[in-house]
Amino acid sequence: MKKRMTNRDKTFWAVIICVLVLFFTFNTLPMIKGIIYSFTNYKGYGSYDYVGFRNYIDLFSDVRVGKSYLFTFKYALAGTVLVNVLSLIMALGLNSRIRFKSAVRGIYFVPNILGGLVIGYIFSFIFTYILPAVGNTFHISGLQNSILASETYAWVGVLIVGVWQAVALNTIIYISGLQTVPQDVYEASMLDGASKWKEFCHVTLPLVIPFVTINLVLSTKNFLMVFDQIISLTKGGPAQSTESISYLIYRNGMDGGQFGFQSANAVIFFIVIVAISIFQMTVMNKKEEQL
Amino acid sequence: MLNGKRVRRFSVVLGIMAGMASLAGCGQGAPESKTEVELVSYKPEAVKAFEEIAERFNASHDDIHLTIDSPNEAMTILKTRFIREDYPDIVGIGGDINYSNFLDAELFMDISDLEEVTEVKQSYLDMDKKLEFIPQEGIYALPYAANAAGILYNKDMFEEHGWEIPGTWDEFTALCNEIKSNGIQPLYLGYKDTWTCYAPWNALAVGLSDADTCSQVNMGNTTFTESYREVAEKMQVLLDYAEPNPYAYGYNDACTAFARGQSAMYPIGSYAIPQIKSVNPSMNIDSFTFPANASEEENVLNSGIDLQFSVMKNCENKEAVYEVLRFLYEDETIQIYLDDQGGIACKEGDFQIPAELEGMRSYIENDRMADYQDHHYPSEMSVDAMIQTFLLDTQEGAADRFLERFDKEWKRYNRDLIWKIQQYRQETEGVD
Amino acid sequence: MRRKTTKTNWVLTLVLILGTVTIFFPLYMAFIIAFKQPSEMTNDVAGALSFPVHWSLDNFRQAMEVTDFWHSLGNSLLITLTTIVLAILIHSIAGYVIGRGMARKKSFRFIYLYIVSGMFVPFSILMMPLVKQTAQMGLGNRAGVILLYLVFYMPMNVLLYTGYLKNIPVALEEAADIDGASTWTTYWKVIFPIMTPMHATVAILTALGTWNDVMTPLVIMSGTGQNTLPLAQLNFQTQFGTNYNLAFASYILALIPILIFYIICQKQILNGVANGAIKG
Repeated sequence: MKKRMTNRDKTFWAVIICVLVLFFTFNTLPMIKGIIYSFTNYKGYGSYDYVGFRNYIDLFSDVRVGKSYLFTFKYALAGTVLVNVLSLIMALGLNSRIRFKSAVRGIYFVPNILGGLVIGYIFSFIFTYILPAVGNTFHISGLQNSILASETYAWVGVLIVGVWQAVALNTIIYISGLQTVPQDVYEASMLDGASKWKEFCHVTLPLVIPFVTINLVLSTKNFLMVFDQIISLTKGGPAQSTESISYLIYRNGMDGGQFGFQSANAVIFFIVIVAISIFQMTVMNKKEEQL
Repeated sequence: MLNGKRVRRFSVVLGIMAGMASLAGCGQGAPESKTEVELVSYKPEAVKAFEEIAERFNASHDDIHLTIDSPNEAMTILKTRFIREDYPDIVGIGGDINYSNFLDAELFMDISDLEEVTEVKQSYLDMDKKLEFIPQEGIYALPYAANAAGILYNKDMFEEHGWEIPGTWDEFTALCNEIKSNGIQPLYLGYKDTWTCYAPWNALAVGLSDADTCSQVNMGNTTFTESYREVAEKMQVLLDYAEPNPYAYGYNDACTAFARGQSAMYPIGSYAIPQIKSVNPSMNIDSFTFPANASEEENVLNSGIDLQFSVMKNCENKEAVYEVLRFLYEDETIQIYLDDQGGIACKEGDFQIPAELEGMRSYIENDRMADYQDHHYPSEMSVDAMIQTFLLDTQEGAADRFLERFDKEWKRYNRDLIWKIQQYRQETEGVD
Repeated sequence: MRRKTTKTNWVLTLVLILGTVTIFFPLYMAFIIAFKQPSEMTNDVAGALSFPVHWSLDNFRQAMEVTDFWHSLGNSLLITLTTIVLAILIHSIAGYVIGRGMARKKSFRFIYLYIVSGMFVPFSILMMPLVKQTAQMGLGNRAGVILLYLVFYMPMNVLLYTGYLKNIPVALEEAADIDGASTWTTYWKVIFPIMTPMHATVAILTALGTWNDVMTPLVIMSGTGQNTLPLAQLNFQTQFGTNYNLAFASYILALIPILIFYIICQKQILNGVANGAIKG
């Protein structure tokens, strides 16, 4: 008996060590290296010096970095709220008694399978040419100029594309959440004569709360890391108003000579993402327990 | 028994991984007996010219095989290759801050023993010298082709209306007003792509400030607030003559619009000509130097090295590489490149100046030229985006805020460099 | 006594069908532009949406030539398929070992958290060191990209597999163990087949992520002369930007393979994604 267990253990350890070596080599090790570079003035090539905490001190006094954090947070917050509200509504609609259910569901999922870059290029054309043309034809002054060229509203353009793509996945997750709600729960509430809104608040929502957690964490993380849409729609402009953190790290760390500095930025970014995710999960877990 | 089985399973997994690794070296198939020379150029638009040049070289050389690669996103690719320490033999880059940085990182070889360097026009060798952060002994780049920036104009349109080429800033604004009164758009700007802000910026800056403004600032002798005020103010004036909301349109849109006659002029460099002609091949384009000053004599043409070749320090076959450089620098080869790309040869000799640059000829021949100022700006500082931000700022005092920011950020982005220069100066002065 | 609930809500059906315009419109527009000639492009709404004068595949032919379509497609397929197969093999074993080990040992619990937390590491912090590291290991190529995907998707897939495993009773394995089968045999004969629904989910989520990814191939295999489909688009944008028609033809070309795949496997894909959400 004891010997058998040992053999199983041996196999387990052998597998786990292989996996750990792989994971460590291509995830943790480069991350450690990145952290080390964040204390240097390395450009990516040539020689470099250790500069202590200078990069970190600079980070907190750099207006551009500050603006990129503000933009990214604003974008992620608006995106997460919009996506979750929209996809919950979509899911309720797609889960009710409608015809062509599977076909319609299938169509709404399409944006999720398409690449962010190409979608961005297509929308860029719509924003630059089609929408202003619509604005001119029907004399809608808000549309006559490309919103991507407006310092105040360009982020809305990026947001529209981001939401357009993200709603699909979250809708599917909410639908599967709604399907876990047993039908007789609804029937019970219907007999009580509860209104639709009340039914949603008191019956449906509490039951799908775990899915809200998943969706919140997933979409916040994805929106915080926004990159493809920026590259294809605005390249950070106009007037540097849509520079996301990921974009800045890539643009200046890889293309510009700020590798060391942007590594420090990436380290802070990592800490921020982990902190937000943990925060969300703790809060939501509490909610789940309450209900 | 059990162990044996387990080992076998492992070997399957390992085998798959090994199989993946063997996917590695595909796709390279050059004859072994020849010496391979790899040239990476940063100009994807010149891919056709380079293909022809490489073909000709390989046809005339049995012992050397030349590969010229001009990928898109070339600077990113080059930098990732440098990180990987996977160096090509020769790089074809512009005479800009990247050259300064690569040189400063000691990536390049001294090629002053190549006889071709004596045939380079002095002004271009001087431009490269000015790009050195710390003055270096020797020559590290072979300037190949230069471009010039100013104003491109629609020649047919100008002739039709009898408009005259302006020589001063006042004449220029008067011309713009006249064009406007004819119901035609004077300028088209593609400021959605922030780098296009540099075109008029540089063209104005060479006329209105010293060529070595940046190094003067580094040495603490002047500030940008002092040197660039007029440039900034004139940049704002240009907006009055451009299409509404130029931040909605990119470089490609602007080229297309100009090609289709939607504007009479286009403040951009000669590099845009092939792009414009691809939309409207029969278009009659000419150019003139940006009239930045109050008197014509003070104007300076904005011209810089668009393509130059540097040899990587750790290249193994110096002889083969030099043979390639000699071939590239033959008049005939240069002409292939110029025919395709336009521009100005950096070599002394009888090269045709493209018809589209006819209006700049006297400046080129009299050497009234100065390098692009942005060749000295660190790319991560994104001065182009700062200019765009400034132009979008319609509040009172925008220029002051912009220039103040310019000075402040310059110090931070160039901190290590300024320190290095100070060290160097202390050392050399100490030696004296 | 159950009430029959077959009454169709037609109003909602209509609203939802009308809503699909938001999906179809951008695609329709891209499609129409891809067929037009530059001279047919006008700056008004009607012009932008009207059919082309001739339905010619010329733009597509040209775009295929410029992006070296078949070659790029081949690379994308090779990378995605290899990644999927290896992800299913390796990640399911890892998920199994971690999931079962976790139940009994604290150290495995720790390993689980260590790997899953990798989900939050932004690619940007790994990017530059990875470029250097893969090059030094001779992995600056397609194989390196595949290997990196295996590591990047490990946190999510391990999470999915361990989650799914909780629903599989340990008794099944114990029965097999008592019959004298090795741990490996038990795994392949008993557990691996049971996890089939999760394999589908893992395959789909991994495929969607890798197929459209630009950054990893851009930084890892740039300069090797190999392109993936998204990389070819990136190149196209800078090089031939003036010709929107050609550009849109190339976008459509990039979208078509995944669209076809989606139309064929729609049901499995939707189920797979939903499955991941419930079990994860």
